[in-house]
Amino acid sequence: MDSGGGEGYAVDDYESLMSTTDVELLKTAWRNEKAAPEILKFDSNLVQRSRQLIQFMEETVDEFNKNGVDPLTVSLYQMDLDRTMFLLRSYLRTRLQKIEKYVFHIRKTAELWNRLSLKEQQFAEGCAIDLKDHLEQSVLSKLPEQYQSHLRQSAASEDDDMVPEPQLDAYVVCRSKRYLGAFQLDDGGEEPVNIEADDLYALPYKSIKPLVESGQIDLV
Amino acid sequence: MYGRKATELVKEFASSEPGQLSTFNNDVFAQVLEECNGHLLHLEPLMMNIQENENKLRDKRSEEEMGMSEDERGNSEAEKMLIQSAIKSDQFGALIHHLSLLRNKRCLMAYVYNRAEVIRNLGWMVDSVLPEEIEEKLSGTEKEYFKKHANTLQSYMAEVDLHLTVDMVPPKDPYIKVRVLDDIGEVVLSDQVANLARHAIMFLRRTDAEQYITQGQMEELTS
Repeated sequence: MDSGGGEGYAVDDYESLMSTTDVELLKTAWRNEKAAPEILKFDSNLVQRSRQLIQFMEETVDEFNKNGVDPLTVSLYQMDLDRTMFLLRSYLRTRLQKIEKYVFHIRKTAELWNRLSLKEQQFAEGCAIDLKDHLEQSVLSKLPEQYQSHLRQSAASEDDDMVPEPQLDAYVVCRSKRYLGAFQLDDGGEEPVNIEADDLYALPYKSIKPLVESGQIDLV
Repeated sequence: MYGRKATELVKEFASSEPGQLSTFNNDVFAQVLEECNGHLLHLEPLMMNIQENENKLRDKRSEEEMGMSEDERGNSEAEKMLIQSAIKSDQFGALIHHLSLLRNKRCLMAYVYNRAEVIRNLGWMVDSVLPEEIEEKLSGTEKEYFKKHANTLQSYMAEVDLHLTVDMVPPKDPYIKVRVLDDIGEVVLSDQVANLARHAIMFLRRTDAEQYITQGQMEELTS
């Protein structure tokens, strides 16, 4: 790309940064998060690196602007920056929306709770309090005493039977980067599925969950 | 019929457009709550009856163990049967009231919970200020909830130092063409100072324009 002699080194730097696959990784994380019914593990390193990358891209664009580089070039860089920004924002946003939706479930399930970043945990804490207060004020406080829990239907319930949970048996579309061989869906009685590289499959999320978590398979 | 009012609430929510809110149905809501308390009023004496009868039954048994004549034994058998059937009928009555109460609770909760979800989604779109025509549809606690939740969200965004309510759609072009719908006046945007007068058609940075678009002060022109 022609960008004038003066900032050749910046371009080199930029190219080398772009060639690391952080943006691609972010895209994958984002896609998985979008498609999975439950919340996935927060990739704090990746987010950290993406933010550094974004900052660097911003600086580059600013520098280009200052040095009067061809506007078309600048706008291409700007567009790339905007796209990366979108990915990051949308990734964080999708997670927050899941937290909002399943806040009680996430809060009482240690496994899910540990998947959140520290700040997300704070957010979830706040969310849960807000929602609980709201439910209590509008409904629960007006009901008879044995029926006032926001997690249980009544004092007679043995465990929390009124917490919305994500539907883990929902079907998701997924694709593997490499051949994984025969894979047994856990419903039993069914033929194992042969997972080929780069083929699309629609499978219940529950059965491929371990593959998603270990990064062997990507959701689309 | 028990539980019919509560169904109305849920039906009302289910039949409204997804993502849209209708006015909070205070009237039916209060009626269902009343019904719940009515159930409790029925429930409590029934539970007490059951308790009493069970005690009586226990007394009878201990009397029997003390020993009694054939005649007395026959009488006591009959009495026991009577008490038992009284317990049974009270139990079924109590169960009906208990289950109706549960059902009403679930309906009320579903109504409030699902509305809360819509309200939260609005929070993503309008950035902490609700338009008036929506606000008047909410109940008092719902307004409160919206504010609190918006604050929680704001503090998260402040923590991560990233504004999350912009960029809702994937960007195609850094600049978009917009028409200004309201007299906004002179504003400092990220790359220029612009005079946003009504009906002006401008070329703005997407991130700048987005906040105005969500507030309905601008519209995007797609060619």
